[in-house]
Amino acid sequence: MEQHRVEKQASWLKWKWWLILFLIAFFIAPFILTEFYLTILCEALVMSLLALSFNLLFGYMGQLSFGQAAFYGLGGYTVALLVTKLHFNFWLSMIAGVLVAGLIGLIIGYFCVRLRGIYFSILTLAFGQLLFFIIYKWHNFTGGDDGIQGVFPPEYLKSPTAYYYFILIVFLLSAFVLWRLVHSPFGQIMKGMRENSVRTEFLGIHIARYQLITFVIAAALAGLAGAIWVPFYRSVAPFYLMWIKSGEPVMAAILGGPSTFYGPILGMFIMTFFHAWVLAFTHFWPVIMGTLILIVIFLLPGGILGFAQEKLRGRRSKGT
Amino acid sequence: MAFLQTQAVVKDFGKLRAVNSVTLDIRKGDVHAIIGPNGAGKSTYFNLITGYHRIDSGKVLFQDEEITKLPSYRRCKLGITRSFQITSIYPKLTVYEGVLMAILAHRKASLHFFSSAKKYFKEDVWRLLEDVGLEDQANAQGDSISHGDKKRLELAITLGTEPELLLLDEPTCGMSPEETETTITLINKLSQVRGLTILFTEHDMGVVFGIAKRISVLHQGTLIADGDPEAVRASEEVQKVYLGGAA
Repeated sequence: MEQHRVEKQASWLKWKWWLILFLIAFFIAPFILTEFYLTILCEALVMSLLALSFNLLFGYMGQLSFGQAAFYGLGGYTVALLVTKLHFNFWLSMIAGVLVAGLIGLIIGYFCVRLRGIYFSILTLAFGQLLFFIIYKWHNFTGGDDGIQGVFPPEYLKSPTAYYYFILIVFLLSAFVLWRLVHSPFGQIMKGMRENSVRTEFLGIHIARYQLITFVIAAALAGLAGAIWVPFYRSVAPFYLMWIKSGEPVMAAILGGPSTFYGPILGMFIMTFFHAWVLAFTHFWPVIMGTLILIVIFLLPGGILGFAQEKLRGRRSKGT
Repeated sequence: MAFLQTQAVVKDFGKLRAVNSVTLDIRKGDVHAIIGPNGAGKSTYFNLITGYHRIDSGKVLFQDEEITKLPSYRRCKLGITRSFQITSIYPKLTVYEGVLMAILAHRKASLHFFSSAKKYFKEDVWRLLEDVGLEDQANAQGDSISHGDKKRLELAITLGTEPELLLLDEPTCGMSPEETETTITLINKLSQVRGLTILFTEHDMGVVFGIAKRISVLHQGTLIADGDPEAVRASEEVQKVYLGGAA
């Protein structure tokens, strides 16, 4: 037991230096990157939030959601509508975006958490597409397929650098809260539900209730991602809610490793930057992405970080 | 006073009547065995008590409170916990985490969102691990330990909810003779030291007659005998359908 504790501490020390290194890199990024790549970095951070929210359901709770982008879009549309139509305060709009996504998550989640496996996935997909079509067709309220343009942030956040720091801080705070959440007693119960829901129910846990809480947290977090992205991009469009968008966090998690906390972030960074880079010389991005996913599934089962973790654990247990 | 009471409980699977109007009282503090040949309805009867299956007719009372329609998680909160015939543990969690799950759930700490789970109930987890003899395996992953250890882990998990009534579905199934011996000692200790009421099913007659204070015999879903071990051993009907005259 003592030995285990020491080992834990050593690996944490190693992690801490990595973390500090990344933090420094993030904070000096605007001085190094061109404006184009700074924009891509912003996108990667926002999409990583979406991927984290998705992985709360997939990696930790054990349910595959195919409608996570719906909450992302809802957060974005709430901000866009409040800012352009009602000239609402920027910060209050942010909060409203999170609340609307969480509230709709509560309603949709109420039905979804009653189902398991593929049925859960299909229902999240169906609800996601339902919301997409409502927004797509409701022309005089949402702008239909035109979306909403002219969603400006306040003056002091208008420069890309300022907004980048805003996104970075929101990202870091959310990631920290989420990290605490998955390591809390509630997080432990979440992992237990994933591993063996029958056993967990016979410990006195009301599975549907705990899954609903998780679902709402994930929806609110996805809403936050959408809410901070839209003022940066100055516009929002219906495809933000579409199932294709919902597929992105799925792929990011599989790429980076759904069994790890940082996996989906890594996956999303690879996808976003690779996408930006590849688009410079070809439009066949989906083909390249598909190949990449295939390579990972066959050569690195468990995703990049998941595979690395498994190797590391294997080496450590052999060594002792 | 009956601690747990089933009144004419019935369960049908299609045309098959798995449990046929079983009325039985379990007394507080007893170690009570349910025996019967394969397909006698023992596991189904267990599932009716713990809420895993819905009851078709009849009533279940726990401490004079009707629990017939309560979902299983509510029954667990009242103090009824079970183990499964096919061992039910957390394969990818460590042994320690599995036991911690149970204590978190029972002590109402499962809705703490922001503090580290590692800091909770350390002493209680270690004590339970020592009770079942798994303290050396605390950091092993659930699916990496031996079959006997998995059974003991499941026992530790069920004990983590501090039950008043513990239902064990074949607790020594698939164990080596030594492991069986340890488990029997453990069950005896639990009933004596903690005053637990234990209801269990078992195929191994050595185990049954070794620890049970009372034995009930099911045959094709019907209760055909109920009493202390001597009475059950002497019953002609039991010998005919079950013990095959060998006892």
